[in-house]
Amino acid sequence: MNNEKIIIDADPDLSELIPGFLQHRQDDIRLISEYLEKGDFESLRILGHNMKGAGSGYGFDEISEIGALLEQAAKEKDHTEIRKQAVALEDYLLRVVVVFK
Amino acid sequence: MSILIVDDSNDDRLLLKHYLNVAGYKDVLLADSAESAFKILRLGDPSGPNIIVDLILMDIVMPETDGIKACQAIRKNVYFEDIPIIMVSVLDDIKNLQKSFAAGAVDYITKPVNKIEMVTRVRSMLRLKYEIDRRKAREKELIEMTQHLETVNEMLEHLSYFDALTGIPNRRYFEKFIDAEWKRAIRNERPISLIFLDIDNFKDINDKYGHPTGDKCLKKIAKAINKSLRRPGDFLARYGGEEFIVVLSDTVIEGAKNVAENVSAKVAEVEIIMKNTDAKIAVTISAGVSTTIPERNSSYQALINTADQALYKAKKGGKNRVFSDE
Repeated sequence: MNNEKIIIDADPDLSELIPGFLQHRQDDIRLISEYLEKGDFESLRILGHNMKGAGSGYGFDEISEIGALLEQAAKEKDHTEIRKQAVALEDYLLRVVVVFK
Repeated sequence: MSILIVDDSNDDRLLLKHYLNVAGYKDVLLADSAESAFKILRLGDPSGPNIIVDLILMDIVMPETDGIKACQAIRKNVYFEDIPIIMVSVLDDIKNLQKSFAAGAVDYITKPVNKIEMVTRVRSMLRLKYEIDRRKAREKELIEMTQHLETVNEMLEHLSYFDALTGIPNRRYFEKFIDAEWKRAIRNERPISLIFLDIDNFKDINDKYGHPTGDKCLKKIAKAINKSLRRPGDFLARYGGEEFIVVLSDTVIEGAKNVAENVSAKVAEVEIIMKNTDAKIAVTISAGVSTTIPERNSSYQALINTADQALYKAKKGGKNRVFSDE
């Protein structure tokens, strides 16, 4: 795990929405943990699915990828993979820096 | 004009709404589930929605009711049969694409959503709907106009067969009627009779009392003649200014003469009372009667002529009488 910053050039149009989006992703990390504890793979699947759909739309391709892997992991009820993606998400959120052109 | 976005992902709802707002579509409604959307559209309410939704952007993967089922449910509703629904979803299964169109969706936008692509498709779909709505409204107008024209045509047709003053059949209707009866009489080898009648001294009545009074006479006399014709098949028409003609199918000369005498008597009973002078105008008619069993390829005109000649003789003979050569 490196500490390099990830710089994202964001669409200035979305300047108002991006902070909220990133906050929701932060909340997602907590939710993933809760769902996993309850064994609620369906909710995990939908969470991953939505992340997959929204990520790139906001300019965060990596979040779409994480979402896709999370969704697949939830379908397969793969605990390990799910935790791995949660960690990847957390790491990403720590390193990402948004620059509005 | 409003657009409804149905998506369980808050981030997606906001993103799509944002794209639409930026493109100029300010009226955007949000639903976080199919059930929520149904409520907004008042799907279960028989009186229908209380808002106008022109387009729906529908996510497929949603908990409980998915977008495809929601699409079907909405399209089934009578108020939303034509509403364009665009599915917006991650294309991870080609079957979803097929199912979407089978469910009635008109287009499919993949997530992650490309702003320009989405706005372009929304714009063209709204344009299409606008055109369709215009055509439907025009169609409705045309149908109403057609119905109106049909009604007016019926009225005109009626007017063209009936005398405006007396309300009884006019000459045109008479010609049509006797043509049919003549042919039938030929086919069945049955007798057909005519009574040709004329109001005595009608010109004098008009000259002395004025045309409005003359018209009043005509109306009363027509009514009296009509009343005196008891048999359902007997046909009365106004032939000319003060001339009337009666067609009696299946009737021999004695019967026709009887009818003519009845008519004459009834008309004589008609009193036209002049308001100002208390003077009473007495009216009488002269009638000529003719009958025949028509032969093949003959014309009814001959029978009219015979009746006409008989009428002439009735006039010559002193008026107020029925005459027949037969």
